[in-house]
Amino acid sequence: MRIRTWTYLVGQSFQGIRRHVHMSLASVTTMAVSLLVLGIFVVASLNLSYVAAVIESQIEIRAYLYDDIPAQGILDLEVAISSLEYVTGVEYVDKDTALSKLKEQLGPQADLLEAVEEMNPLRNSFVVKVEAPEFVALVASQVEELQGVAKVDHRQDLMSRLSAVIRAIRVSALFIILLLGVATILIISNTVRLAVLSRQREVYIMKLVGATDAFVRWPFFLEGILLGLAGAAVASFVLDRAYDWFLANVYVMLPFVPVLTKQPMLQVVSLGLFVLGTAIGALGSSIPLKRFLRV
Amino acid sequence: MILLENASKLYANKVLALDGASFYIDRSEFVFIVGPSGAGKSTLVRLIYREELPTSGRVVVFDKDLSKMRPREVPFFRRRIGVVFQDFKLLEDRTVFENVAFALRVTESTRREIKRRVPAVLELVGLRDKQRSYPRQLSGGEQQRVSLARAIVNNPELVVADEPTGNLDPDTAWEIFQLLREINRRGTTVVVATHAKEIVNRFGKRVIALKDGQVVRDEEKGAYSNED
Ligand SMILES: Nc1ncnc2c1ncn2[C@@H]1O[C@H](COP(=O)(O)OP(=O)(O)OP(=O)(O)O)[C@@H](O)[C@H]1O
Ligand SMILES: [Mg+2]
Repeated sequence: MRIRTWTYLVGQSFQGIRRHVHMSLASVTTMAVSLLVLGIFVVASLNLSYVAAVIESQIEIRAYLYDDIPAQGILDLEVAISSLEYVTGVEYVDKDTALSKLKEQLGPQADLLEAVEEMNPLRNSFVVKVEAPEFVALVASQVEELQGVAKVDHRQDLMSRLSAVIRAIRVSALFIILLLGVATILIISNTVRLAVLSRQREVYIMKLVGATDAFVRWPFFLEGILLGLAGAAVASFVLDRAYDWFLANVYVMLPFVPVLTKQPMLQVVSLGLFVLGTAIGALGSSIPLKRFLRV
Repeated sequence: MILLENASKLYANKVLALDGASFYIDRSEFVFIVGPSGAGKSTLVRLIYREELPTSGRVVVFDKDLSKMRPREVPFFRRRIGVVFQDFKLLEDRTVFENVAFALRVTESTRREIKRRVPAVLELVGLRDKQRSYPRQLSGGEQQRVSLARAIVNNPELVVADEPTGNLDPDTAWEIFQLLREINRRGTTVVVATHAKEIVNRFGKRVIALKDGQVVRDEEKGAYSNED
């Protein structure tokens, strides 16, 4: 096709939106709302995943030692623990450090400790980090066997429950997003399809006058892309504002909950919404057209 | 220019709308297709511009057997034919100018050509001052003249019309037929399916009469019916 025809067809796609303002508005609104819902779920599950990852990284086993172990014994123990399977890190905390940490945590109530300070009742210990919650029990029992270890603290039931919960959250978030994705595709393509159906007569007349399929189809295709872009733009904008609001509130109300920073997450999510919106818009408007083109 | 050989059309609902019709229409002829309602006139017209294909027999237009034509040749074939419908088939959301220009857009005419040809052909059908109107702002007769303008703006070799005046009063109908005769005088073949008895009789052109899908009469300088 010639350049002037392309110019005409691009112009027609804008005209098409103008001539069918109500249909176009309905399509954009539907797209914006369903893309926004999808976007919110994606952002929410990314954050849940992040929280889970942070929690997982904090999983640790405490191994308390007898007081009378010589320095060399402590070094040997450290080597022994690090060489265990699934162990990702070992850190030695001597009892003085432990006490000052405790003081820090207690803050203004640290006075309570003054009485015991002279004879520090805390023990030297190892903080052992493990790959994943499910290995905690195994590693803990192995550490407990080692010579010089007085007691191992690992809150096993909490850990295994936590790992189950995290896995469940991850799987169901993925599942919901898949479902929502499919629903979004269906809703949007259906709206766009309705808009195309209402213009069956127009397509029929064009074909009778001698328009080629491409000539009829391009404006619909471009129109779908434009509507998809508009829908994704609205959804991304609202998502962006909503996340700002969310961050501001989380920092105030739940300061200890880890959340993802806005970027680059929202950039990626928005890009996804744009790709999805334009793809469904374009295909949703040009595929159902095929049937009418057989004139 | 148009050749039907034993052409039959059996619709999906088992109605035999055309039953072995044969005739030849030469270049520059003016031909009326007449017959009672349900005789198969519209079906015949649809076969000529290839909206439908015959279920048996042959329809040959511009030396092309329409049943053998490939789908992507069809648009180029239709551009050589101007079609006028009883219900006008105008694009409701576009102006008179754009409706007529559309036939030129599909052939990728230049902007200059569009600016030259559309007003000229609207002048011919007497709608020069209605270019910016929308179809719904026009009377039935005016709308039919727009659709006629669209049909001829490409200088087609053939114009086919299916009851172009079916929805119009006698005076307006007469005007439309005058235009068709004018188009024919300029060398275009014209085929019109119509119920307009008086006009057919006054024109004294070739008449092909259908009944139950069969050609029952084919006369040069014919009349609407034999009875009077
Ligand atoms: N698309 C179709 N599908 C099925 N049957 C059809 C179709 N079009 C027409 N028919 C049938 O074919 C027969 C011939 O119809 P056609 O429209 O060709 O007649 P006509 O001569 O144009 O009639 P009229 O003067 O009322 O317009 C009729 O019985 C009609 O019901
Ligand atoms: Mg008819």
